[in-house]
Amino acid sequence: MKKVLAALLAAAMTLSLAACGGGGDKSNTPPAGGSGSGTPAPAPSGDKVAISAIISQYGNYTQEWWTQFEKNFEAAHDNIDLNIEIVSWNDIYTVVSTRIQSEQQPDILNISGFADYVADDLLMPAEEYVSDHVKNNFIPSFWESNAIDGTVWALPILASCRAMFCNMDLLNEAGITAAPKTWDEVLTACKAIKDKFGDSIVPWGLDISTDEGQAAFAYYTWNMGGGFVDANGDWALNSEANIKAVEYMKQLIDSGYCNSAPYTDTRYPLQDAFSAGTQAMMIGAMNMVKADSTVNYEAVSLPGEGIGLGVCDQLMVFKNDSAPDQAARTEAIKAFFDFFYDCERYSDYMVFEGFLPATLDASEYLASNAEKHTVGGSGGATGDSEYFKTFCAQLPDCQFYPLSESKWIDVKNGVIEAEQQVCQGQISAKDALDNLQANIAG
Amino acid sequence: MKENPKPRTKPRTKPRTLLNKRAIEPYIWLLPSIVMMGVLILVPIITVFQTSFSKISKAGKNKGFAGLDNYLWIFKQPAFRHTLMNTVVWTIVVVGLSTILGIILGLVLNEKFHGRKIVRAIVVFPWATALIIQSVIWKYIINADYGALNTLLIKLGIIKSNVNWTATPQMFFAWECFVGILVTIPFVTFCVLSGLQSIDASLYEAAEVDGASFWNKLFSVTLPLLMPSLTVSTVLNIIYVFNSFPIVWTISKGDPADMTHTLVTYLYKLSFTNQRVGEAAAVSVIGFIILAVCASIYMFMTLRAEKED
Repeated sequence: MKKVLAALLAAAMTLSLAACGGGGDKSNTPPAGGSGSGTPAPAPSGDKVAISAIISQYGNYTQEWWTQFEKNFEAAHDNIDLNIEIVSWNDIYTVVSTRIQSEQQPDILNISGFADYVADDLLMPAEEYVSDHVKNNFIPSFWESNAIDGTVWALPILASCRAMFCNMDLLNEAGITAAPKTWDEVLTACKAIKDKFGDSIVPWGLDISTDEGQAAFAYYTWNMGGGFVDANGDWALNSEANIKAVEYMKQLIDSGYCNSAPYTDTRYPLQDAFSAGTQAMMIGAMNMVKADSTVNYEAVSLPGEGIGLGVCDQLMVFKNDSAPDQAARTEAIKAFFDFFYDCERYSDYMVFEGFLPATLDASEYLASNAEKHTVGGSGGATGDSEYFKTFCAQLPDCQFYPLSESKWIDVKNGVIEAEQQVCQGQISAKDALDNLQANIAG
Repeated sequence: MKENPKPRTKPRTKPRTLLNKRAIEPYIWLLPSIVMMGVLILVPIITVFQTSFSKISKAGKNKGFAGLDNYLWIFKQPAFRHTLMNTVVWTIVVVGLSTILGIILGLVLNEKFHGRKIVRAIVVFPWATALIIQSVIWKYIINADYGALNTLLIKLGIIKSNVNWTATPQMFFAWECFVGILVTIPFVTFCVLSGLQSIDASLYEAAEVDGASFWNKLFSVTLPLLMPSLTVSTVLNIIYVFNSFPIVWTISKGDPADMTHTLVTYLYKLSFTNQRVGEAAAVSVIGFIILAVCASIYMFMTLRAEKED
């Protein structure tokens, strides 16, 4: 009898293991609410149309805001079953890639970059899913940055822009009275700080790491007259201005004006050092200085051309040929965007996450009404209208990464590798950028 | 005379059934483990092999059979060749030095002295701490601008200004090897200690009677009898160090310019940063084959040596 029981137990264990393995997809399906993000088709649940969305996790409280959004949306649209899944930035590309491989992509995705999805014919043109009001309300440069051959494939969800931050107390003590406006003035200020403070203060923060080395390339090349592409939109990675820009980065390192490990120092320790007052200058995002920092700083336009790097993430719509009712699905997605981009609701999200709006009405509204909204996880602290007024004014002048180019990922990694090779002295800037240009455009 | 066959036939039939059941029973008990290994080990291995021969788009779409394209692309990359060399150096240096130092430490800890238990506990600490934590700590210790090492050396008057401990890729990699050795020593030490404690004291007494010196005893008694323990620790260490990810990724992420990668960090970067999943799978297969060959040769040689003994 014991042996029979043992055999049954073993068989049961085997079956339960097989069930765990075979039911892998089930774990991805949220416990409640019709078809989750792990379901390919927005199948009607009852009379409802189900749509799923994957949203990037921008902070510790992103889930909180979107849970409330989901409730409010479903209350306002009783014929739509919305299922939102929040995924961290660390995992989102892997999660989406896996879903695509298993043909379980969501209806709506919030991520950065869309050209590869367009290249694989996975997306619907986002412009077909927004009303004219929503369409005309986007800041034009943001709207246009999401177009490939005249078709807009993604909607800007939020933005941030980069500025040059200067610790004015340190600069003044070193004899520099104003924030540098040219690249030569940056070098002069760095020398003055190094002469005055020696090793105790790092004059300039430089990040050419895998994390954001492409941002450094953008800062220096754009503001020295170069960039990723030329006026025709063709790759121009080995332009004279770009060579000069990369050589300038090397000069910063060789002169001992920047942090000692720019190859591995990401922006986060640099931001910490600036907030702690041990680093005099750096280029960073508008919300980079820690809230409890006592540093007396100025955030000014980048030296040279004064072009800021605009970072803009997107919302996009995936194709789903197996949806039972395409018209109902389209209407449901349109309803989602109309609801999300409502001026007050969208503004609330921008204040909650601490980003800048990509729409005109929210930019205007937040310039005087940010105090009506609370910052996520702040215990009730409200937004600062002055902050939005200052930075929203810079947004129209920002330039963006060429995210609409399908080779962007290769270019991004290529410029980082070129910067690192040049700054290590392994190769000249000209040779490194010529090789990259040949690899990409050739 | 006729009664004799009866007792012979009866016992023969019953045990056969019992024997069959007993023969099947272990397999039934093993079945869950076999199924689990199949699902968790074999399926991923097969999938990686399949992926390495597939063209996977950057968005993650499988575009069909790619033949040897992923492998050919990998072999054309200077970074891959450098990574391969790094991986060999990393494995030999970390396993080799940690084994030598672990043997020395094991021999010391096998001696009786005051505070031996405390020292043994201290030796365990690096092993008991998560690799990622140790790597992050070391990354901050060696940072030239705000690291503890420069601060300490300046306060002790050994250096006058900050030293850039990671000025070149070679220096970065040397630090990574150092951290690798540091975290591997405890494992070897405790393998050696367990081996030492199983050696019969009478062998040393006999050697002493024969007039053997310390070195004679070490090379003629201790090390030969430690070989089984060292074999286990070395094989496990080769596999473990070869596949180690956290130290290199945390300290340098393979930078500057992909000069400090090992195969594991390189394939991770290819897959998750560069979105080249097919090529990353090809690197994974290459690593798998190298490791399988090395482990097989080592095991074969060890088994043959044992057989000869």
